Amino acid sequence: MAIRSLVIALALGLSLAFQAFAQAPDANTLVVAQSVDASKLDPADTGSRPEANIAAHLWGTLVQTTSDGDIVPYFAETWTTNDTGTEITFRMVPGLQCHDGEPLTAIDAAYSFNRAKDPELAFTGNTPGFIFASLGFVEARADSDLDVTIVMEQRNPIALGLIGEVFIHCMDSYMAMSKDEAADNPVGSGPYRFIEWIKDDRIVLERVADYPFAVEGAFERIVWRVIPEASTRAAELMDGNVDIVANVSPDQAATIDASGRATVQAVAGTRRIYVGFNLRDEFAASHDNPIAIEAINNVLVRRAMNHAVDVETICTQLLGTDCERATGLVNPPNDPPDLEPYAFDPEGAERLLDEAGYPRGADGVRFSIRLQSPNNRYLNDANVALAVGQYLSDVGVQTDVDLLDFSSVYVPLIIGGNMAGPLFLLGSGGATWNALYDMADLSRVDAGTNYTGWDNPDWFSGWDRIAATTDEAEQRVIVNEMLQVFYDDAPWLMMYFQPDFYGVSTRIDWDARRDEKVIVTDATLR
Amino acid sequence: MTPPSVAQTVVTGPSRTPAPRRDAWRRAWRSLTKAVWPLLAIVVLLIITVAAFAGPAIAPKDPNRQNIINRLQPPMQVDRAGVVQHYLGTDALGRDVLSRLIYGARVSLLVGFTAVFIGGALGVVLGMTAGFVGGRIDAFIMRLADIQLAFPFILLAIMFLVVLGSGVLNLVLILGIGQWVTYARIARAQTMSQREKEYVEAALALGARRASVLFKTILPNILAPLIVIASFNVASVILAEAALSFLGLGVPPTVPTWGGMLAESRDQLLAGRWWLAVYPGVAIMLTVLAFNILGDWLRDFLDPRLRGVD
Repeated sequence: MAIRSLVIALALGLSLAFQAFAQAPDANTLVVAQSVDASKLDPADTGSRPEANIAAHLWGTLVQTTSDGDIVPYFAETWTTNDTGTEITFRMVPGLQCHDGEPLTAIDAAYSFNRAKDPELAFTGNTPGFIFASLGFVEARADSDLDVTIVMEQRNPIALGLIGEVFIHCMDSYMAMSKDEAADNPVGSGPYRFIEWIKDDRIVLERVADYPFAVEGAFERIVWRVIPEASTRAAELMDGNVDIVANVSPDQAATIDASGRATVQAVAGTRRIYVGFNLRDEFAASHDNPIAIEAINNVLVRRAMNHAVDVETICTQLLGTDCERATGLVNPPNDPPDLEPYAFDPEGAERLLDEAGYPRGADGVRFSIRLQSPNNRYLNDANVALAVGQYLSDVGVQTDVDLLDFSSVYVPLIIGGNMAGPLFLLGSGGATWNALYDMADLSRVDAGTNYTGWDNPDWFSGWDRIAATTDEAEQRVIVNEMLQVFYDDAPWLMMYFQPDFYGVSTRIDWDARRDEKVIVTDATLR
Repeated sequence: MTPPSVAQTVVTGPSRTPAPRRDAWRRAWRSLTKAVWPLLAIVVLLIITVAAFAGPAIAPKDPNRQNIINRLQPPMQVDRAGVVQHYLGTDALGRDVLSRLIYGARVSLLVGFTAVFIGGALGVVLGMTAGFVGGRIDAFIMRLADIQLAFPFILLAIMFLVVLGSGVLNLVLILGIGQWVTYARIARAQTMSQREKEYVEAALALGARRASVLFKTILPNILAPLIVIASFNVASVILAEAALSFLGLGVPPTVPTWGGMLAESRDQLLAGRWWLAVYPGVAIMLTVLAFNILGDWLRDFLDPRLRGVD
C-alpha cells in the first residue's frame, strides 16, 4: 500500500513538474524565445542583439527610432543643436522615475552616457564600442534638472539615431553597485521591471504600473526564454508554449504555418552578411599560408572572389527567400542607385585570377585558403559558409571551411584580436534610416568594427568631408563616392542583407521589425 | 549500451589444455553456424568494413560535393531523364547521403578500433604491472583508475576536446585513454590469479626475466576475456564518437561521420526529412548491435564452462 501511494505521489509530482515546464502562457503573459541568454543586464554594456532586446524593455532612451526609421521623442520631449553641430541639448519629460522610485533627471541621463565611457569600468558593449566611436562622443553634461547636453567631436548627421540607442538609468542605484553587481541586478527605467533571471532558462519582466509611455493592451508579464535549438523553439511554438520565436529556420516555415497555432513572418532584415578579407599586417605576420595572404591583398583576387559566388542561389536555396545581392555595406533604399551587384560569373572570376597571377596548377588548384565562420549565430551560417567554400573551390581557390563556436571561439578570435581568416564570415547589424549608420562600421581605420583592417584613404578621408557640410544632397554625393571606392576595392566579399524569420503565435498581434529588434511593448492578445 | 562489468566477464585459465589452432577455428565455425545471429553480425560488420575501406571506389558521389540546387531530395527520386541520382537522397547542401554514409563508416570504424587498441594496450600494460608487481605500484595505478572512474566519461571527453580542440586524432586519443581502466582492472585480476600458478613459478625458477614472464607467459593466458571486453568496447566507443560528433565536438563538420549527419538532421526532422536522421541512425544501431552480438558470442565461445552448451 505504501509503495502504491509512493508511486501515485511520484507520478503526480512528475506530471506537475512537466506541466510547470511546458505550460502554455496565460492571457496576461507573453513568452518570447531567443537562441541565447543574456550574459549581463547592464544598461551601459549590452552587447548581443538578444541582450539588447531585453534591455530595450527595461530601460528607456532619450529618443527612439521607429521601425520606419523615424526619430521620435521618448524621455526627451524636444532637442536643439548648437551652431557647430557638436552639441545637442535635450529637454527631458518631467516626473520620470526609475523602478526603485528614484527620480530620473538630466543628471541621471548625463551619468548614463558618462558611465558607459568610464575607463575604470572598461565596458566593451555596443554603447562604448560602436555608438561612442561612431558618434565621436566627448562627454555628457546636465545643464539643469531637465536639460542634458551631449558633446561630440564634430557634427554628425546620424547623431540622434545613435544617441537613441543609449539606455538611460538612475545614478544613485548604479553608483551603489559594483560592475559585477550591476550586471545581475538591473534597476530599470523603461516600461517593464525586472522580476527574476534563471540563467540559461528565462528572464521574467513585469509591466510598470502608470508608466507614462505605456501602450494600451500590452501584456502584464514578458518571459524571455532561452531555447538554443531551432527545432525545439519551433516545437514549443507549435505546442503553444511560446508566442514569439526569433531565428526560425526557413526549412521549418511550412511546417509551422501548417500547424494552425502559429505563422512565420519573413522580413527583409538589415544585418549585412559578408565574407571579410583579413588585410591586417599583424594577421599576415602570424598566418602560416603566405600565398593566401598575398592573394587577398590583390584587388583583382578580391573582385574575382566576388564574381565566383552565386549569392542569389544561396539566398533562394539556403535562406528560403529571394534576395538582391549587396553592392556594399549600406542597406536599401540608401544604397547607391548606380551600383550593380557583382554578377555571378565564374568564367570572369577565373580570368581575373589568371590576370592576377594565380593560374590553376596541375591539380586544378590556384591556391588554398581558409574560411572561418561561426556555427549557429546567423541564419544557416554554417551551410552558407560551406556553400561559399564550394563556389570558391570551383574556380580553383581551394577553400577549407572552419566552423567555430560563436561565443567561445569566434568572438574572442575576431573581436578580441582580429585574427580570424584569411576569409571570415560575419554579420553586422544595420539600419534603414540613414546610409551613414551602416557606413559607421568603417568610421575610422582603428574602429572596433573594421574587422578587415581596410585602410583605403579615399574612403576614410570622406568622413571629414561629410562632417564639413550640412547640405544633405552634398553629403549624399560624398556617400556615393565613398561607396564606389568600397565597391571597387572590395574589402568584403559582398553577400546579402539577412532575411529574418519570426514564428508568431496566432493568439497575438505583433509585427516583426526589419532591424532585428524584438520590441513587444505593442504586442496584444487577439 | 555499456560494456559488461568485471563480474560478467569469464575467467579462463591455463588449466585447460590449449587445443590446436585448427581445431579452435573449426569449433568456432561450427558454433557460428549453429547460432545464426553471430553469423549475421559478422556479415554486417564485413559489409561495413568493406564499405569503409573501399569507400572511394564504391561511393557513387564525392561525399563533400555540394549542389544546393538539388538539396533535400528524398530517397530514390528520379531526375528528368528518369534516373535515380541519389539513392538515399541529399542533405541540406545537396550532398549525397549514401556517399556520406559510406565515408562515415570509415571514421566510425577507425575511431572505434584505434581507441580500443590504445585503451586496451595502455590498460593491459598497467593492469598486468599492477597485478604482477603489487604493493605501492598496484595501489597507485588502481587509485588512478578509481579517480578516472569517478568522472562521467562523456563529461571528461567534452572537457578535453574543448581544451585540445576537435579532430580525429584528439578524438581517438581521448576515447582511447577513457577506456584503459576497464582493461586494467581485468588484466590485474587475471594476472594476480595467474602469477601463483605453477607454470609461472617454473618460468621464474628457470631464470626468465619478469617482463618476459609477464608478456610472453601470462599474457597469452589472459587474452580471452580481454578480447571479449574489446568487442563490446568497440560498440560503446562508436556510440561515444557519434555522441561527441552530435554535440559538435567530434571530428570537424566537413568530415562526414554518422554522428555528425545525425546532428545536421536535427533542424530538418520537424519538416519531415526523415532520411537525414534515419539512415545514419540505422547505421549506428546496426554496427553497435553487431559488435554486441559478436561480443556475446565470443564470451560464450571462450567460456570453458559453457563449452558444448548451445
